[in-house]
Amino acid sequence: MKKKLVFWVLTVLMVSALILTACQPSAEPAPPAEEPAQVEEPEPVEEPEEFVFGMLLVGPYNDRGWSQAHHEAGEYVMENLPGTRMIYLDVVNTADRPGTTAAQLAEELVQQGAQLVVFNSDDMKDDAVEFTRNNPDVYVIHASGDSVWAEGENYVPLPNMVNVMGEMEYGKMIAGCDAALHTQTGSIGYLGPLINEETRRLVASSYLGAQYCWENYLGNDPADLNFRVTWIGFWFNIPGFTEDPTQVANEFINTGVDVIISGIDTTEALVEARKATGEGNQVYAIPYDYVGACDEAPEVCLGVPWYNWGPAYLRHITSAMNGTWESVFEWLPPDWGDINNHDTTAIGYVSGPGMSPDNEALLQQFIDELAGGLNLWVGPLNFQDGTTFLAEGQEATDHEIWYLPQLLEGIEGRSE
Amino acid sequence: MKIGFNQINKHFGEVHANVDINFNIQSGMIYGILGENGAGKSTLMKILSGFIQPDSGEIVLDGRVVEIESPADAIKFGIGMLHQDPLDFPPMQVIDNFIAGQEGGLLLKHKGIIREFKALQEQFGFTLDPEAYVDTLTVGERQQLEILRLLWLGARVLILDEPTTGISVQQKEKLFAALRVLAQQEKTVVFVSHKLEDVEVLCDKVAVLRNGCLVGEVESPFDTDQLVELMFGKLIILKDPESVSGDEIVFELQNLYIEQYPITIENVNFRLHAGEVIGLAGMEGSGQDVLLRACAGLQRPVSGRVIVNGEDLTGKNYHEFIRKGVGFLPASRLEEGLVPGLTLAEHFTVTSDEKQKLFIDKTYFRSLSEQMIDEYRIIGRPDTPVESLSGGNQQRAALSLLKDSLSIILLEHPTRGLDMESSIYMWDKLRERCKRGTSIFFISADLDEVLRYSDRILVFFSGRVSKPQDSAAIDLDQLGLMIGGKGWEQEIANEETYEAISNA
Amino acid sequence: MKPSRTRNISILFQLGGLVLAFGFVSLILLLIDADPIQAFSLLWEGAVGNTTRIASVFVVWVPIVLVTCGVLVTFTAGLWNIGIEGQITIGAIFTTGVIRMFLDTPVNPVLVIILSMLAGMLGGALWAVLAGVLKVFSGVNEIFGGLGLNFIATALNIGLIFGAWSRPGVASMSGTEPFPEVYWLPTFQNFRFSWYSILLSVIGLVVIYFLLQGTHFGLRLKAVGKSIKSAFRLGITTWQHMLLAFLVCGVFAGLAGALQVVAVYHRLIPSISSGYGFMGLMIGMLINYQAIWVAPIALFFAALNIGGIQLPIVMKLDSALTGVLQGSLVLFVLLMQGVKQRVLGKQ
Ligand SMILES: Nc1ncnc2c1ncn2[C@@H]1O[C@H](COP(=O)(O)OP(=O)(O)OP(=O)(O)O)[C@@H](O)[C@H]1O
Ligand SMILES: [Mg+2]
Repeated sequence: MKKKLVFWVLTVLMVSALILTACQPSAEPAPPAEEPAQVEEPEPVEEPEEFVFGMLLVGPYNDRGWSQAHHEAGEYVMENLPGTRMIYLDVVNTADRPGTTAAQLAEELVQQGAQLVVFNSDDMKDDAVEFTRNNPDVYVIHASGDSVWAEGENYVPLPNMVNVMGEMEYGKMIAGCDAALHTQTGSIGYLGPLINEETRRLVASSYLGAQYCWENYLGNDPADLNFRVTWIGFWFNIPGFTEDPTQVANEFINTGVDVIISGIDTTEALVEARKATGEGNQVYAIPYDYVGACDEAPEVCLGVPWYNWGPAYLRHITSAMNGTWESVFEWLPPDWGDINNHDTTAIGYVSGPGMSPDNEALLQQFIDELAGGLNLWVGPLNFQDGTTFLAEGQEATDHEIWYLPQLLEGIEGRSE
Repeated sequence: MKIGFNQINKHFGEVHANVDINFNIQSGMIYGILGENGAGKSTLMKILSGFIQPDSGEIVLDGRVVEIESPADAIKFGIGMLHQDPLDFPPMQVIDNFIAGQEGGLLLKHKGIIREFKALQEQFGFTLDPEAYVDTLTVGERQQLEILRLLWLGARVLILDEPTTGISVQQKEKLFAALRVLAQQEKTVVFVSHKLEDVEVLCDKVAVLRNGCLVGEVESPFDTDQLVELMFGKLIILKDPESVSGDEIVFELQNLYIEQYPITIENVNFRLHAGEVIGLAGMEGSGQDVLLRACAGLQRPVSGRVIVNGEDLTGKNYHEFIRKGVGFLPASRLEEGLVPGLTLAEHFTVTSDEKQKLFIDKTYFRSLSEQMIDEYRIIGRPDTPVESLSGGNQQRAALSLLKDSLSIILLEHPTRGLDMESSIYMWDKLRERCKRGTSIFFISADLDEVLRYSDRILVFFSGRVSKPQDSAAIDLDQLGLMIGGKGWEQEIANEETYEAISNA
Repeated sequence: MKPSRTRNISILFQLGGLVLAFGFVSLILLLIDADPIQAFSLLWEGAVGNTTRIASVFVVWVPIVLVTCGVLVTFTAGLWNIGIEGQITIGAIFTTGVIRMFLDTPVNPVLVIILSMLAGMLGGALWAVLAGVLKVFSGVNEIFGGLGLNFIATALNIGLIFGAWSRPGVASMSGTEPFPEVYWLPTFQNFRFSWYSILLSVIGLVVIYFLLQGTHFGLRLKAVGKSIKSAFRLGITTWQHMLLAFLVCGVFAGLAGALQVVAVYHRLIPSISSGYGFMGLMIGMLINYQAIWVAPIALFFAALNIGGIQLPIVMKLDSALTGVLQGSLVLFVLLMQGVKQRVLGKQ
């Protein structure tokens, strides 16, 4: 009996110890007891002028993909904007950080002094909104989100939030064209992440680009072009939870695909293409997201559509610092003057070593056409189920593209 | 090897299990350790073999003081021990068990090992099959295997803790012969027992323990009364109990046919009367345990019927038998009789019929167990875990768990491990139940016990069951012959008449 | 030796295990050129640095406590309920299923929440009993059966999130559409934790404590766990008790899963069990199956989980390090128990 008593006492002591220490947070002058739940006072940091921005990366910071592109953008900001410092947390997803939510982790960044937080995934939408609402004093950039797009379907007025997205549709069209120019079998595989509006429109863009070059540059019958998408379920492989992208890539190769366009954040497609090529079966891949993605397997890399978040982040962080912050939704086009200019463009396309000089010229011609105003989102276009998307001559609005409800006719694979 | 115990002391909580033990054992002899249950015999032997450490005192081997820290240490000094309650018998092959404990990559030399094993067992007249699985061996055969294993590991001192409980007369004789061979080979044999008759025929010298103290050393030839007096502090007189058998039939076996490889038991017909005690005699593995388990609902008969108090329970499960008043006490008490890790009080709580509400009435069960501990003279407290009771006390605890309400009690070796006084006491308790109408079926390897306490006896020989023998009309020699397979032609001739009677 | 001294000594050994575990992790930290003191103070700060963090610790504490309570029951019966992860998941699936059924109906949300949680417990119990049935009637060891059932539960969960229950137009591993706020278990002010969750886990603790210490059922389970043969001979219906142990454990796991849905994520996500099942098994071993220790040790583990978030933010260390700490804690404490037995045995 006594033993039990001792243990209960211990238990209670331990709990109260935790709570007690909590009630006297180190040397903070403000009386914390008065504060409501959220403690948002900016922490006193060594250099008061320093502006700290935090970043939540959905994948590893060095994934040679989406998350690395963001991470390098953060470094770009630090270089170009003295007095700023980045803190970040990577692999922010429930599989890798069980028991946590993005909103909770954002609060931890704030605890570490962050005055602005970047949520880098569409996946964090609910958490980003929740956090932004609960922390009106913290600036939030939600990359790829649409919450503050007044014309959008998910509009929530949040004065401290900005949405930024690059017009990757162009990058994907170029990728699609590149793939079409190189395929010998006429089969292109798209290694898809999860299915949502964003990924659907990127698949569709790739298809439109591929179809255009296949028909107009190579003079082939559009019916001979086989374009397939397989979704793995998330932005990158999470063993046990997603399909294995390596397996999906192999599946493509085994069924005649010889160019794989990757829509996921990591570079499995390249690796598998190199393996197949090494075995005598020429397969190319086009990775995604990150300017240096080709380095993984340059010889089979045709090129990479990449995001350049740096300039946009620089702009918004500057405005946050000098008080000119404005809540906007931005869908940023490439700098058609030089789509690979790190200081100006929002998205780009760098050709990889796998590209042949002849095709290089054709691809450049395509890019020039796009720069000159070529619009592929023009009717007649049908949805995958055969219903009309755009009538003859009709141009799609931003809204229609952003919220593309279905894949297009001619693409094989799930729409939702 | 010469062994010396020098001022050995050992406490378990409040129990002073060994008190200032001082004596020497010469090599080349069979030395007996005698003592009643809980006297401290096993404790002292566990100290010698490194399983436990003494609180104070020292062990001297050939004049050298040694520290024996573990059983592995002990075997390095040449000391090996056979335990009273060997628990773990993994489903290993004999030969694998034999080489377990040996260092080095011996598996490669499997064939050679088998040859060595056979050569070794030949010296002692053992006939174990090296390919057999250990869990199919009888207690006696496991013992033989263990002896061989220890010798092979280089034991020069062999300690046997109550080796004769639970083995057949034949196995016992084999064992004794083997031990004598060992003594001739100048090895030292330490033989722990409370069975005077075993000690008397085997040992050259004995030390007697009582209440943890050494109370005397005696050399062969022994005077039985002197030994009894040393052990118990008084003389003990055996008296034959009176039969209290009634007329009412409480239990019936009809044309029972049981198969349990390699034993087949055919056509058993038997009626048990209220208050009757039936002894089942036979060499180990002759079928008596199979029949007993069939009576308990643990072994499904192929055909025939088991009728308890007029109700046909054939094919019902063991728990149904319990509900209908059939109790069973198996031989291996720590394997299937008691739950190691549970205290005495917890055992009484689990088995009681009283007060089975949601919450345990701890005071009630505490006093219940105190009462039972008193009644069955268990040396222990309600909160003593059963595995720390001495062997004899475990047996008492197991017996005390048999409910009062039982109408038939099936016992395997009920007094195994009990000293003489306790056996008498236990049988008194059992007989008391008989007076109240409970009937008993029991197996024992001890023919004296069978003859003394049974009203009728069933003799088993390789699956054959004799007609019930009136215990008053049969003597030890006749019984011994039947067990050995003699006189069964006569028996078969009688069988027809018996069947005619029982079917009438 | 006096029993109280034995107890003091054994506590000393447990503390020794704790010290060793911290020493071991410090060593790892030193090897990767990180400052252990800074790491541990970060862990501490990260767990109790402010009220929000403490609240987060309790969010994690609740499921760990529930799961550990459940695991103690199966441990007592001598069973390794590895399938607990799957039982949490199925609990969460059942809960989500019920809420979805009532989403656009006028039924009182409070009633829906209660119903959904009951369904969660039912789901967990079903899945656990399945593991039990496999063991009892088909002789499939509960460890293998449990692993198989975990696999099936995960596949089912992902199938639902990616397929039948996916958000309109979306098929993403990020989970189903969050439920409207009326179906959330009310939280305390703006904190993430809910008093109801805390209350439920405290009730769970009390129930398990008394179930194991004070009831005939608990004692019989203990007998079955210590020696199934002897328990059977003593008249205990052994397989029924094993199934019941699974059932009780499943109810607790299911409740943990239900709370993950209604109190934490408000939707179904792929990793809804968050590894709490395995953590429960670890804690069960660590505390040597004594119910009394569940609350404090679960709190400690939860604090490590939450505190660990700081490591990657501030020191760029992998937060898996806290997992290493938790694991080595279990190992070293078990190790010290072995050492203790040797040392005490010699007295
Ligand atoms: N591990 C233990 N913990 C507590 N008490 C013990 C332990 N082992 C033995 N004892 C106690 O020490 C005393 C001597 O026990 P021991 O086993 O040596 O008796 P024994 O002479 O071998 O008796 P038996 O003939 O019944 O086997 C007994 O009272 C027993 O209860
Ligand atoms: Mg003994």
